[in-house]
Amino acid sequence: MLALLFKNFIRSKGTKIGLLFLLCIGFISLLVGKQFQDKQQNNIKEASIYQKEHIARNAAFHKDEIGLLLYYIKFSLVNNTLPINSLAIGQRDVNPSIQSVTIRGLEGQKYDSELNNPNNLLAGNIDFGFVLIYLFPLLIIAFSYNLISEEKESGTWKIVATQSQNTFLFILKLFYVRILSLIALLTFLLFAAVLFLHIPLDSAFFIFYGLGVLYILFWFAVSFFIVSLQKNSNFNAVILLTIWLFLIIIVPAGINAYIVNQYQVPEALELTLKQRNAYHEKWDTDKNETMEKFYKHYPQFKGYKIPEDKEFSWLWYYAMQQMGDDESAILSRELETKLQQRNLASQRIAQFIPTLHTQLQLNEIAHADLGNQLLFLKETTKFHEKLRLHFYPKIFDNAAVDQQNWKDFKVETFRDSSEISFGKAFLPLLLFILLLIGFGWRNFNTKAVF
Amino acid sequence: MKILHSELLIASHFRQSVFKNTALYIITFFIGILLLYATFSGWENYKNQNETSEKYQHESREDWLKNPDKNPHRMAHYGNFAFRKSTPLSVFEFGMEPFFGNAIFLEAHKQNTANFSEAGFSNSMLRFGEISIAMVLQVLLPLLIFFLGFNAIAYERENGTLKILLTQGINWKQLLIGKILGIASVIMMLFVPTIIVLVLVWLFFQDFTVTADEAIKMILFILFHLAYLLFFCVIAVLISAVSKTSKKALITLIGIWLLFTIILPRTTQAIGAYIYEAPSKIQFNSDIEKDILKQGDSHNPNDPHYKTIKDSLLRAYKVDSVQKLPFNYSGYIMTEGEKISSRIYNEHLEELLNVYKQQNSFSKTVSFLNPFIAIKNLSMGLSNTDYESYVDFQKQAEDYRYKMAQKMNALQIKYISNKKPGPNDKPLTIGKEHWADVEEFHYEAKTIGTILKNEAVSIISIILWIAALIILIQIASKKLKAI
Repeated sequence: MLALLFKNFIRSKGTKIGLLFLLCIGFISLLVGKQFQDKQQNNIKEASIYQKEHIARNAAFHKDEIGLLLYYIKFSLVNNTLPINSLAIGQRDVNPSIQSVTIRGLEGQKYDSELNNPNNLLAGNIDFGFVLIYLFPLLIIAFSYNLISEEKESGTWKIVATQSQNTFLFILKLFYVRILSLIALLTFLLFAAVLFLHIPLDSAFFIFYGLGVLYILFWFAVSFFIVSLQKNSNFNAVILLTIWLFLIIIVPAGINAYIVNQYQVPEALELTLKQRNAYHEKWDTDKNETMEKFYKHYPQFKGYKIPEDKEFSWLWYYAMQQMGDDESAILSRELETKLQQRNLASQRIAQFIPTLHTQLQLNEIAHADLGNQLLFLKETTKFHEKLRLHFYPKIFDNAAVDQQNWKDFKVETFRDSSEISFGKAFLPLLLFILLLIGFGWRNFNTKAVF
Repeated sequence: MKILHSELLIASHFRQSVFKNTALYIITFFIGILLLYATFSGWENYKNQNETSEKYQHESREDWLKNPDKNPHRMAHYGNFAFRKSTPLSVFEFGMEPFFGNAIFLEAHKQNTANFSEAGFSNSMLRFGEISIAMVLQVLLPLLIFFLGFNAIAYERENGTLKILLTQGINWKQLLIGKILGIASVIMMLFVPTIIVLVLVWLFFQDFTVTADEAIKMILFILFHLAYLLFFCVIAVLISAVSKTSKKALITLIGIWLLFTIILPRTTQAIGAYIYEAPSKIQFNSDIEKDILKQGDSHNPNDPHYKTIKDSLLRAYKVDSVQKLPFNYSGYIMTEGEKISSRIYNEHLEELLNVYKQQNSFSKTVSFLNPFIAIKNLSMGLSNTDYESYVDFQKQAEDYRYKMAQKMNALQIKYISNKKPGPNDKPLTIGKEHWADVEEFHYEAKTIGTILKNEAVSIISIILWIAALIILIQIASKKLKAI
């Protein structure tokens, strides 16, 4: 029986075209992922070569003044890109994965954006996440909107109903065949991805896979529920597409607008103005005042005094730069808190919207979400502070440039160690699936399928 | 009006049958709410964007003017900001706005990136799209038209009423046009009130003083959207007419809608981005640095390029050291350095923008096949939220930056003594009254002429669509069969 149902399903021209289309676009998404991966790796390679040359060249020019040298040289920190990131590019196309900073004021450098074609950003990537979240549901709808209704419309349903002992079981089998074929397609594509994109088979991958399976089941559950209402095919198609439209475009867009308006970030612009003024005004204010503030921040450098006989000294210069950061620190923290609130609020709301939840979880697994970006910014601050603490005494002592081990300053990498919990990822979807199946089952029971 | 009599009769009959459907009221209600929400959030965005942008533009200007007497080069490093402002139409069409950086720091020697885009501060929720009036008009209403129209003729065919109609002396052309008018009249009941509210809102937040340029943009925005919606009415009726059953008509129409609004826009852009790979920031910057070093490094005292300049200056003024020149030498060298580095930067930027242009060319060309892309590009152009606007903003900012830096260099050449102060001396300064010489940054949105030129492809595409659909109605009227 099952074999026959399967044959019947797979023989239809529409099914073949649908599956083939999804397979093709699935492979395209892997190509896009591959290009993304290559580009990321290339950038990292480029960054380390560049940093080496850049430091060597500047160290040769400014060999007498380490303070001047460190005015120029940039050190890079890389936000590690996981192989699975190629499946869900997330926000990694908007946000830079490499931060290059000098030891001068950080707040003026931290938010530098990536070069981008806004057209690409607006259209969005064709990554595997897109194929899964947007296109799989469409195929699921196409495969199941006319189950039963079509047979009823063509008059064959009565024959089916009288020939099988349990019509409900028969309906389940119809779904079973379709679910199996789409999960097989998902498995096949992800298997190809593992080989092609060198994705390690770790727990992150299995959560990714599990989310994919559950997401597909969720859409089948939606279809199952709509079919259980036993309306005609046209009604089913219209309703299912409307649900899709709501879950894919309207609701996420509405929530986004809400979050943007709820947690506005005027701090960002205020911060840039503040750090500029805080540093620059020190050129015209009492040097000792600046130095007092600097010593208060770094008591360990109290021993270094600005020379009486010179108008300019690098100690004073870096103390001024430090003030740019110190005096805008509150705003910087406020901005960070706001962004964290945004992230948290969207995650919380997303639990109730399966499409959104899946998208956010996939990006979280791929370390391509806002949370990862915030961690990266935090790490950049630490990285910058480490460099400062290393170089400040050297600058204040005017240490010899050629005595420094410049070769030790390689590009560093930040690895986000946050883990995804199975429960947090799976539970919301599971709940929706059970609910929809439950209601659908009740519908089938209360209303005889004739 | 005797000629259109039967058409109007068919149209009003169709309209009546639509109004019998309670689902329509529910959908209309939802779309109404969405339109309100879209207007509200668009307004909110616009207000916030412009208020903050104006506030900080003003504040940064005050800060600039408040600077005490200084060396002009200090001021060149103090720098200015360019904040992006939105145009009134962007209330209805957000376009790429969320992906644009809103602030550029403008200083000497260095071209900074446009920072603080909405997208950078968002998690991927934004990537699902946004609710704007334009989205409702361009994405949702076409689908509603298809939902209303798939039955138009296919249902009559299924019922057998089609034959009756055609035997009663009504020809195919009358039937097609009548049905198209029927759907259009239903959609207009949504479209016309929307437009009225839209125009009122638009007038209101400009305090009822509108420039001719803005007015033309608004009128074109309305007219093109009207034409666009009519396309879908025609497509719906034509597909319904050629389909054997209403189910087939519905599925075909849904397929067309998905292809037009979801699949094609993304795939064509992705193909462009895949084929023409753009350099990353790190590559872009290191390429520029390499080229600048090739030209000469102004920091390197032995650099041949700058040595030649020095020697020729010494010869021309017949002096033996730069300190004896009658003007500030380092100001002169910085002017030269700024000129070279800006030129090289602009060359690389041009190259990068060319790559972007090539990436965009795919989806631009596909607008001939897809009216959605045509109208999207056009309405983004009109509301100054398209790619060209962004490039334009960055170019205006860079232009301003260059002028500011060179102005400061000129002040240095003219007013700063050529003798380096000793280690104990106060630094050389000029009076603060000079700071006002640099005008405030003022962003000018593109005028309607430029927009129409940029969007020529979209306009041609829309005209071609009008022509093609008229021809299709003619062909269909002759070839269609009742069974």
